[in-house]
Amino acid sequence: MSYLVIEAHPSYTVLLDEEGRFFKAANLRYEVGQTVYDPVLMKDSPEKQRHPVRWISSGVAAIAACFLLFFGLSYYQSYMQTYSSIYLTINPQVQIDLNQQGIVVGLTGTNPDGRQLLEGYDGKGKDKATVADELVDRAIEMGFLSEGGWISFSIDVPDDDLFQEYRMELFTEITKHLEGRLTINIEIFRSTSQQSEHPVQSHPSAASSPDAGSLPAVSSAEFPEEPSSAAASPSEPDPSSGSGGGADLPSPSSTAPIPSEPGPGSGSGGGADLPSPSSTAPIPSEPDPGSGSGGGADLPSPSSTAPIPPDTDYGPGSDGVTDLTPPPADPIPPDTGEGTSDYGDGNSNYGGSNYSAGDSGYEEDD
Amino acid sequence: MNEEHKIIQQVYAAKEDIQAADQLIHTYLPFIRTETAKFLKRPPVEGQDDELSIAMIAFHEAIRRYSRIRGAFLKYAAMLIRSRLIDYSRKEQRHSGLVSLDTPMGEDDNPLGETIAEDRNPHEESETREATRAEIEELTRQMEEFGISLSDVADNCPRQHRTLDACRTALQYARDNPALLEEFLRTKRLPAEQLTAGSGVKRKTLERHRKYMVALLLIYTNGYEILRGHLKQIGKGVVSG
Repeated sequence: MSYLVIEAHPSYTVLLDEEGRFFKAANLRYEVGQTVYDPVLMKDSPEKQRHPVRWISSGVAAIAACFLLFFGLSYYQSYMQTYSSIYLTINPQVQIDLNQQGIVVGLTGTNPDGRQLLEGYDGKGKDKATVADELVDRAIEMGFLSEGGWISFSIDVPDDDLFQEYRMELFTEITKHLEGRLTINIEIFRSTSQQSEHPVQSHPSAASSPDAGSLPAVSSAEFPEEPSSAAASPSEPDPSSGSGGGADLPSPSSTAPIPSEPGPGSGSGGGADLPSPSSTAPIPSEPDPGSGSGGGADLPSPSSTAPIPPDTDYGPGSDGVTDLTPPPADPIPPDTGEGTSDYGDGNSNYGGSNYSAGDSGYEEDD
Repeated sequence: MNEEHKIIQQVYAAKEDIQAADQLIHTYLPFIRTETAKFLKRPPVEGQDDELSIAMIAFHEAIRRYSRIRGAFLKYAAMLIRSRLIDYSRKEQRHSGLVSLDTPMGEDDNPLGETIAEDRNPHEESETREATRAEIEELTRQMEEFGISLSDVADNCPRQHRTLDACRTALQYARDNPALLEEFLRTKRLPAEQLTAGSGVKRKTLERHRKYMVALLLIYTNGYEILRGHLKQIGKGVVSG
């Protein structure tokens, strides 16, 4: 395209192109009458017309976007986002992520068996209880779970009501599902953090030999949250048993929890309440001597309460010689030979209160 | 503050009047130089640095585009000058791999351009240019009778293809009816009514681009052979339109 220079001013020129258009352009030393090929034209400034239609439509679009964002977000929060998780442990460990509605949004095997269990299984969008049932079925099929086996659910939920609800639901569902087929111990507790490992790895199944098909499950179900975590301990405990104190009850294998904090021991009776959800430590952090001793007095029956303390040093007789105070070191510090810690007592109460009878029987079976 | 008001008034006046715009640019030439120097990181040399011309046309553009809502005029102008200089430098970069014809050759200082065989006759060319200039001067003089300058036409020129085509259609109709052109020359008024009736172009379009139409019609009246020769595209456009 060539341009004819038809007017030249010091600060600009007027050009005429071949199509009859006139332009202002930079005067790059042009002369009138000259033909130029590569001028620098002044950019046109088409006055921007404000189209009301465009304004309105863009406003509508903005509002629509806001709505979408808002609803999308709330939809995401209640349907897509993981709100709570259930950790199922048989031997395979499976993490089940739920949304706010209790619908499964994700399944993850957290150990090799767990991954195997989940292979070819898609539980997304199903209800948690259904998924739990199906996973249990698969576990039975694959031989992970057999008569007398253990299932442990650790539920990680933000609030307690929900935990109670899920616990009941899972428990009744699984129980009903397996009714008349297998007898299995179910254990449900609340996990506060996202730890994926769970206590029950050891196979307490032996210990679990339940009395009758009845439900030991029931008892376990009643466990409030943490004791189960304590249950973890059983597998390794015993040095203590050797030490003798609690000797009567070598039952470490028992699933019996070791109460985490005997603190309430003072209200030894209170042990029944199963306090302290939070502590997972197998060993009580604070032994409270005096009170404990008192407690011991009340419930001298440690023997009966089978589940109790492996770390029996401080068993029954203990006077609350609290030397143990430095407990936390190991699951079961052998401690002073005697282990006269009241601590033991605390435990005993505790255990006794809950499962006492049932458990004890059961341990003896062992 | 007062100064600011003054310059804004001048700018608004310059929007209407090309003379005022020239005057304003002349007044603010030091400012334009400074802005160019900032960009070049050296003082621009008049008559040698294209950048200074670019900056001036950018200042023109700033005058045309400025409105109060854009804030201080000089800041706006500085911004626009800088943007146009950047545009220009990018455009020039495309040719950066090429050798300039002004590059000195070997030992002697003759520029490269002079070693190339001339295929154009400089004399002939300058004659053509002279003839063209004469025609343009005549056109300018004739347009003054209509109270129009070529700069006005440049501002009034349609940019949209549709409008341009409409104007060409009207022009073609006038060319086919020499009587119309004669009347136009005699009355010195754009025969908008006849053009609208004859070509079907909306009267509003013609009125809006009156200056442009006047320029085109003048070019097609008497003897502007060279200009008409330059406008080779117009004939084609009209046929289709």
